[in-house]
Amino acid sequence: MKGRPALRDATIAAIALIVVLAIPLFHRSPAFEDFVIRLSAMALFATSLNLLVGNAGMVSFGHGMFYGLGAYAFALTMQMTNLSLPVAAVLAVLITTFAALCVGAICVRLTTDYFAFITLAVQMLFYSIIISWQSLTGGDQGLRGGIPRREIFGFELASQLHLYQFCAIVAVLGLLALRHISASPFGQTLRMIRDNESRTSFLGVVLWRARLAAFTIAGAFAGLGGVLAALFVSGAYPELADWPNSGQAIFAVMLGGINSFLGPVLGAAILLALNDVVTRFTEYYGLVLGSVILAFALGLRHGVLDFLRLAWPQGRRPKVSPEAGDEA
Amino acid sequence: MSGLMTRRTMLAGGGASLLAAPWVARAEANTLRIGMQSILSGPIALLGTSSRNALMMEQDRINAAGGFLGRPIEFVFRDSKGQPQEAARIARELVNSTGCELLIDAEASSASFAVQEVVRDLGSIACIQTNSETSSLTADPKIGAPTAFRVARQGVHDAVAGSIYLAEYANAKKLNKWATCSPDYAYGRDTTAQYLQFFKQFKPDVEVVTDAWPKLGQPDFTEVITKLIQAKPQALFTLLYAGDLSAFVNQGNVYALFAQMTVATPNVDYPVLAAIKNLPAGIQSATRYLETFPNTPANKEWGQAYLKKWNDRPTNWSWQNSLAMQFYEQAIKQANSLDAKALAAALTGMKVNTPFGADGTITMRDDHTTIGYAIGWGQTTPKEPFIVDVKTADWGKIIELETEWKKQQKYI
Amino acid sequence: MDLDALGACLTTSACVVTQATSGLIVGMLLFLVAAGVTLIFGVLKIVNFAHGTFYMLGGYVAYSALAATDSYTLAVLAGALSMALFGVLFERALISRVYGSNVLMQLLICYAVVLIFDDLVKIVWGPEFHAMGMPLAFQVPPLFIAGGVVPPFYAVLIGIAALIAIVLGLGLSMTRLGKTVRAAAINPQMVSALGVNTTLLFAIVFAVGGGLAGLAGALAAPVRSLSPGMGFSILIESFIVTVIGGMGSIAGALVSALLIGMVRGFGTIAFPKFTDGLIYIVMIAVLLVRPQGLFGRRS
Repeated sequence: MKGRPALRDATIAAIALIVVLAIPLFHRSPAFEDFVIRLSAMALFATSLNLLVGNAGMVSFGHGMFYGLGAYAFALTMQMTNLSLPVAAVLAVLITTFAALCVGAICVRLTTDYFAFITLAVQMLFYSIIISWQSLTGGDQGLRGGIPRREIFGFELASQLHLYQFCAIVAVLGLLALRHISASPFGQTLRMIRDNESRTSFLGVVLWRARLAAFTIAGAFAGLGGVLAALFVSGAYPELADWPNSGQAIFAVMLGGINSFLGPVLGAAILLALNDVVTRFTEYYGLVLGSVILAFALGLRHGVLDFLRLAWPQGRRPKVSPEAGDEA
Repeated sequence: MSGLMTRRTMLAGGGASLLAAPWVARAEANTLRIGMQSILSGPIALLGTSSRNALMMEQDRINAAGGFLGRPIEFVFRDSKGQPQEAARIARELVNSTGCELLIDAEASSASFAVQEVVRDLGSIACIQTNSETSSLTADPKIGAPTAFRVARQGVHDAVAGSIYLAEYANAKKLNKWATCSPDYAYGRDTTAQYLQFFKQFKPDVEVVTDAWPKLGQPDFTEVITKLIQAKPQALFTLLYAGDLSAFVNQGNVYALFAQMTVATPNVDYPVLAAIKNLPAGIQSATRYLETFPNTPANKEWGQAYLKKWNDRPTNWSWQNSLAMQFYEQAIKQANSLDAKALAAALTGMKVNTPFGADGTITMRDDHTTIGYAIGWGQTTPKEPFIVDVKTADWGKIIELETEWKKQQKYI
Repeated sequence: MDLDALGACLTTSACVVTQATSGLIVGMLLFLVAAGVTLIFGVLKIVNFAHGTFYMLGGYVAYSALAATDSYTLAVLAGALSMALFGVLFERALISRVYGSNVLMQLLICYAVVLIFDDLVKIVWGPEFHAMGMPLAFQVPPLFIAGGVVPPFYAVLIGIAALIAIVLGLGLSMTRLGKTVRAAAINPQMVSALGVNTTLLFAIVFAVGGGLAGLAGALAAPVRSLSPGMGFSILIESFIVTVIGGMGSIAGALVSALLIGMVRGFGTIAFPKFTDGLIYIVMIAVLLVRPQGLFGRRS
């Protein structure tokens, strides 16, 4: 029984990847490809956030700072040094991981609401620094001049098709890794903490260490998403690290389903698709998006995947508690 | 049997095209679509809406004259909300999916740079930047792109022209102590620094007693205003604009700020002038757009036409977008093609006749940015034409100092 | 960073008085704007993320009311009352469905309202900014009190803010209604079982909270610009005030607003380019040392 779920996840991932990579062979649609590229970045961002929100019950309002940091670290490394793209990307993720560790160290001891506030405050401070440190970051104009040397293992990332393939592969592998973490005993621990922290601590779990680990991992994957975002815009801009962007990830998680692993991915897809379609027809995008969100919040009352699971429950695994701490 | 096949195929095709519909847009066969993106919402929506208004007027004018290469033109407008990722996505969508054959980028700040990257990556589309005033967009060889051009005024041109005027004015009125108050972001900081640099060249005994840097969109300027008043400058230079300028004026009036110091600001657009109640007279201001400057019938006619159509006055952004279309018009006629490289070759060095030129013409330089547009400084009055005693800037001096500045920045 | 300038200011009494006075003005305006959020959270434990929208609409309604009636008093009343009504509708139609839900659900609903009304405002009043302008009655020169400059308009605003602080603070802790409201927030079933109409109670709280936001928007309109999306910066600053002061504490909000006002008043001299960063650092420091805020209670 042990290896099965991991194998199943890997198979699903492989199939998804093959389908996504196959589509351009039949039909080239630049808008669809741009959509997938952006979705890759956002899916990693939102899913990493859900490691905190859905799994550990830690609502972070400032997650965007790691997304933005990943983008800036990557773009700056590419512009200022001669390192190759894969090295720069890894370096950016490492920098983001370290930053997440430091920020987490001061934040995770705070309980829910205060944790949310302090992560928001740290993000706003970070954003402030980006805008002020104009000589390094370009300030509000962002890092300009593009990202040079966009090649990796034969992919020429200036070409949309190659960027599409690269992002799809990175996203699927990243999501698979997150899935593995989430389904592992560590993930179970996080959910236990979310459901009943005193009981979990009596079992010998050191709460703050588990939370710090979750925060750091989530930050790392958000940074990876940021690298993809930087490739899409060929630079890095402060808007990637701003509060509204953190909000976007939260909405993706809520719209797609906080209790489903793929919920954030679906939510991100819904938000992006809605944006792409609605902006073609009207400039009153806020009106439409606001109404859609109200419909979800008041009508479905759950994210889409959660709603579907509640409506059509699968009796595959015995539930430990009625709150359904496990994920399908 | 064959009928069933045909129907199924048709249904499948119809289904597929419905699915593809969100990402595919069809154009009328002959229409020439021109993509335009800008900020159409939020606090500086005026930038986008006044740009769009001017372009709609150009669309009518050009179509009445037969369009481009005999094809009617049609604008596709998009709102990026000032977000660079969205701006990049929109630029790509306009070109790749919506079938636009020309681009007008009316974005500002980071979004304009994001679009520039897309234009450089695509390489196959001509783009005119109409609202970004940052010099590096064209001056910095790492940022400039072969098929991207800029018709917006440049911060450095304004800084030279403004400094010459203000130095003269300051010398005449013996205003040696100045303060600055500009929004704390790249435009505010860089442009203020430029003004001060040139100002000191023309008036070496100027003393900056204090500087204030409110945040863009900051609702409350009180502590900034009292700080400024306390430093007792004789004059204040500010780059605040639009809603911020209005709030600053209103809050400044509460402290009688304008009675205590002369104020100089380049950013007084018509709608701002009209919207700010209790505008103090005697503010030294640049002309962003003024119907009476250049004082020609063509300029007045354009301003009046805009007012009549939109029931609002044009802004600086309006004339810049109109100018972009005038450049496209002439370039397309000259190159007889829409090919980006051909247009780029035509545009480089091109001179157009236009009501917005200081001498009736504006030239697109080899470095893809324009010179010769009307820049003037004068002082405000609460009534039409709002700015009077306008002095024309000396373009020879502007270009001379701009070149020096570019050398300093190591662009050349 | 300009610590010399700060030193120079702190050793000059005129400078200290003037900047402290402007810090007072900034702080009281901040309190006026943030009072609504604090009240609603303190009583209902709901963070009203749509607070900025109430403020914005209050300003716009006042703007139109002034244009229609030429009376600033009527304009302010219109702004406050219309937002009180909007608060009730908002609570009944939307918020009441998510009492007890995840805070993210509340955030979602509030955010949806913000998005919708930012666009509605754009449709009704247009995308460009509007300025109300100072009413004639207040177009007078500033007063000089104890060496500090106090414009009469701000003096009135400070007076109103102080009045609100007293009424709210005392009202919640001393009056029967206030105590009932606070009890109902802690244990609605019990209070309802005791015969109190909790539905009405909660609606009233939102009416007051919304009305306060609208009042602030209307009062500040003469000196600020109105534009769609202006609510966002207001929300952030109200949020900061409330977090530092302690969620739900009127006294806390007042103290923290004044603290922020002073930080800005003197920070603008010492750190002209990083004043907002300074505020965030203060917020982080408070959250680390005393997460419930200066006057908040540990829940």
